[in-house]
Amino acid sequence: MTQVDGNLLQVQISQTWPMPLHGNFTCSSGQMLALVGPSGAGKTSMLRMLAGLLQPAQARVSVGGEIWCDTSLGIHMRTQQRQVGLVFQNYALMPHMNATENVALAMLHLPRNIRLKQSQDWLERMGLNKAQQQRKPAQLSGGQQQRVALARALAREPKLLLMDEPFSAVDQMSRRGLYGLIADLRRDLQMPIVLVTHDLNEARQLADKLVVMDAGQVLQEGTPAHIYRSPRNARVADLVGIPNRFHGRWLGAGGPYVLPPGLAWLEWLPTADASSGLPLVVSDKGRLKTAGQAVTWVIQSDGLEANPSSAQDHLADMQSVLLNAQVTGLRSLGEISLATLQLQALHPCPLQLTLSGAHRQQLQLGQSVTVRLDCRWIHVMPVRS
Amino acid sequence: MTLLLLLPAGMWLARWLAYTHFKGKYLIEALVVLPLVLPPTVLGYYLLVFVGGASPLGQWLSQQFGVQLAFHFSGLVLASVIFNIPFLVQPIQRAFEAIPSHLGEAAAVSGLNAWQIFWRVELPLAWPGVLSAMVLTFVHTLGEFGVVLMIGGSIPGETRTLAISIYDRVQAFDLVSADRMSLLLLMLSLVAVAVSFFATARLGRRQ
Repeated sequence: MTQVDGNLLQVQISQTWPMPLHGNFTCSSGQMLALVGPSGAGKTSMLRMLAGLLQPAQARVSVGGEIWCDTSLGIHMRTQQRQVGLVFQNYALMPHMNATENVALAMLHLPRNIRLKQSQDWLERMGLNKAQQQRKPAQLSGGQQQRVALARALAREPKLLLMDEPFSAVDQMSRRGLYGLIADLRRDLQMPIVLVTHDLNEARQLADKLVVMDAGQVLQEGTPAHIYRSPRNARVADLVGIPNRFHGRWLGAGGPYVLPPGLAWLEWLPTADASSGLPLVVSDKGRLKTAGQAVTWVIQSDGLEANPSSAQDHLADMQSVLLNAQVTGLRSLGEISLATLQLQALHPCPLQLTLSGAHRQQLQLGQSVTVRLDCRWIHVMPVRS
Repeated sequence: MTLLLLLPAGMWLARWLAYTHFKGKYLIEALVVLPLVLPPTVLGYYLLVFVGGASPLGQWLSQQFGVQLAFHFSGLVLASVIFNIPFLVQPIQRAFEAIPSHLGEAAAVSGLNAWQIFWRVELPLAWPGVLSAMVLTFVHTLGEFGVVLMIGGSIPGETRTLAISIYDRVQAFDLVSADRMSLLLLMLSLVAVAVSFFATARLGRRQ
């Protein structure tokens, strides 16, 4: 048998008690997967099951062909037998040991002098100097403590690295340093990495793959770009925080006029129960069958552009419209600005626009603008799914 | 002697009480504290009733093993062990409870087995509590009176403790000896309690 992926992680979990937890996902060697979702979504429980600290009711977890847990076969490997590294939110370093001894704790199978030497090497790699290596955790900063914890997790030479909100207790400055460290390490580490976080920016920045969880359910699995472009349903769009999300009605081919195959009519409704709205031409992916069904849709920021001029609403081409709007909010967020636009044709439907560079200087509060809406960037979802 | 017998069992009980949660836990905790609130004479009386020569258990013991507990050194040790349970178990239990649970998990993830976790993580962290419990128990054994008098009597070299000796001396109007022994007991107790407070403060500072 040829092994393409040495340490592929495969997870299938399904349990209803003591808390509901369902989901399947995979993560290959060197890949970083981020479990995201609100507190109480089951992210940490999922991680603890992978580490063997919690026993799932029904699950199959395997790493590189080695079965760590299979309830149907009655296999449940204890935490100690799993070669797993776990980084805790609050570091979980032993307060009575210095940094070197803490890392050496993960290598008790080696003779004392060898494990202290290796421990120092690991800490060196994490960017801790000789003096810091001899300090107790209480004498180190949060960022340094998390580096020690990371060294301890890696010193075990894990086949799977788990990180539970590793940056949330660390201040912003050290956090950036840690992001860099992890990005560097990932080039050398050949293991799947699972990161739990509630910080979506962090997840998008670091991870190759997102697994969106809510109320114990895995809702969607995919690359960050894919999930932001096409969230599976309204809840996912909500959870990952897609700003421009609107109500609509799916009209299919039966709109103002007949469309060529691959295109369909979407009526943009200002509210969920509005009787009429603005018809738009969007791509038809064949997922929605019933004409007249209520939908939610999102548009990516790439599909929106605002220019300081005013003209009548009109079609620019079949799939893009120009709409009149007024700037009703403008908030500066450092290098970017967040603008809120109120469309004249549709009340109340504020559009959120992120502006950067020279573009942000052009808009002022109260100004009339023309918004170009490119319908190719629209993603339509059923209301319930 | 009491300490040697009580320490391993007490430590196990304390750790178990600190880490497990179940419905009847309060009852067991109450039982542990009971010797603290009960008059020593009551405890001694019940011990006498249950293991004394006339009781079924006492008779069985003397028939099977030739052991006689009442008015004997071994009986004294038994009484002392029971009487000291709260002094040993309570501080150790608090010390184990003060250890954050994720430290044990971190150790398990690092590959340590239960025994290694106990020796390398839990015991060092709980050590001030354990030490203070040991000191308290030790001095407390010296000062035992009521329970000892009930089960042990006052047999010189066998079941006579320091506290009973003082009582005997005062009864015999030998105030010089009573004075000396009282002072010794006072100093020992003071040192022990001070050591125990010091250890507890160290434990508190580390968290």
